[in-house]
Amino acid sequence: MSAQQSQSIQTLLEAEKEAAKTVQQARQYRVQKLKDARAQAAKEIEVYKRQKEDEFKAFEASHAGSTQTAQTAVDQETEIKLQEITDAYNKNKDQVVKKLLDRVVLVKPELHRNLKKAQA
Amino acid sequence: MALRPLNDDEVLTEMNKMVAFIRQEAMEKAREIRVKADEEFAIEKARLVKQEQQAIDAQYEKKRKGAEVAQKIAQSTLTNKSRLRLLQQREEHLQDLFNSARQLVNDLAQDESRYVQFLEGVIVQGSLQLLEPDVTVHAREQDVEIVTRAAEGASKQYNEISGRTVNVTVEGTLSKDLAGGVKLVSGTSRITLDNTLDERLRLLEDRMLPEIRNNLFGSNPNRKFYS
Repeated sequence: MSAQQSQSIQTLLEAEKEAAKTVQQARQYRVQKLKDARAQAAKEIEVYKRQKEDEFKAFEASHAGSTQTAQTAVDQETEIKLQEITDAYNKNKDQVVKKLLDRVVLVKPELHRNLKKAQA
Repeated sequence: MALRPLNDDEVLTEMNKMVAFIRQEAMEKAREIRVKADEEFAIEKARLVKQEQQAIDAQYEKKRKGAEVAQKIAQSTLTNKSRLRLLQQREEHLQDLFNSARQLVNDLAQDESRYVQFLEGVIVQGSLQLLEPDVTVHAREQDVEIVTRAAEGASKQYNEISGRTVNVTVEGTLSKDLAGGVKLVSGTSRITLDNTLDERLRLLEDRMLPEIRNNLFGSNPNRKFYS
């Protein structure tokens, strides 16, 4: 009788052990999953970052191009304006020089406005 | 429950039931744990990814803004350089013009009748400024004769205009290199009045700048106030 009992108890204990093992495995699975989460997240982040980096580089490249075109456009405009200035100058300079010289010799002597002509 | 002790078969059956029960419980618990683990995995991963994505976005946004600002600065620098070039060109032309004028001023003294008239006017003007009874007129050596003639007419005009008299002395002390005109000095040699052609031209260059700008280059379309 007691031999049977202890055998039964043994069987039960073994069953308990098996059960514990199963649960333990499940817990390990959980831990592993959390690690996986971090690893996979890191990978996805890497991909995202690289994508953003490429976007930014493309943006920069286009911007650098536009600076160049802006430079040439401004330079062209400046050249045109410079030419306009020189043309206007050449057209008008003689007239202005004449004006200057005429006024150099133009004299209008006037008595100071606070004074009156002294009566002799 | 059995009211009598169980025989061997019944014991075995009961045992198997118990063992099966234990196993069943374990499986269910394990499944629960696994299911929860999967859920937590998904949540944690999404949270981490989202957090990092936001950080990365913010970082690149900052970079982009920096690049835009840099571009605006570059553009502004370009415009500024261009304006400076234009202004420089105008200044060069202006100096060129003044130089031609200074060359031509020397010829003004050649036209004798005009020159005499000019000298007369200039001496009167100077005397009216000085308002002194005695005035010394300094002229170039080559002008002394003409200036003496002019001085006579000048003192008459001065009397007409101001009612005062002036005593004019002419001296040929100005340098030959000047273009013409006279310098007046009061009797007490305390006041000097420079009425030479060069000095007058210089004054005009300065005072006529707005007019010259307008005549040479047109008025400024951006200007709003002429007071």
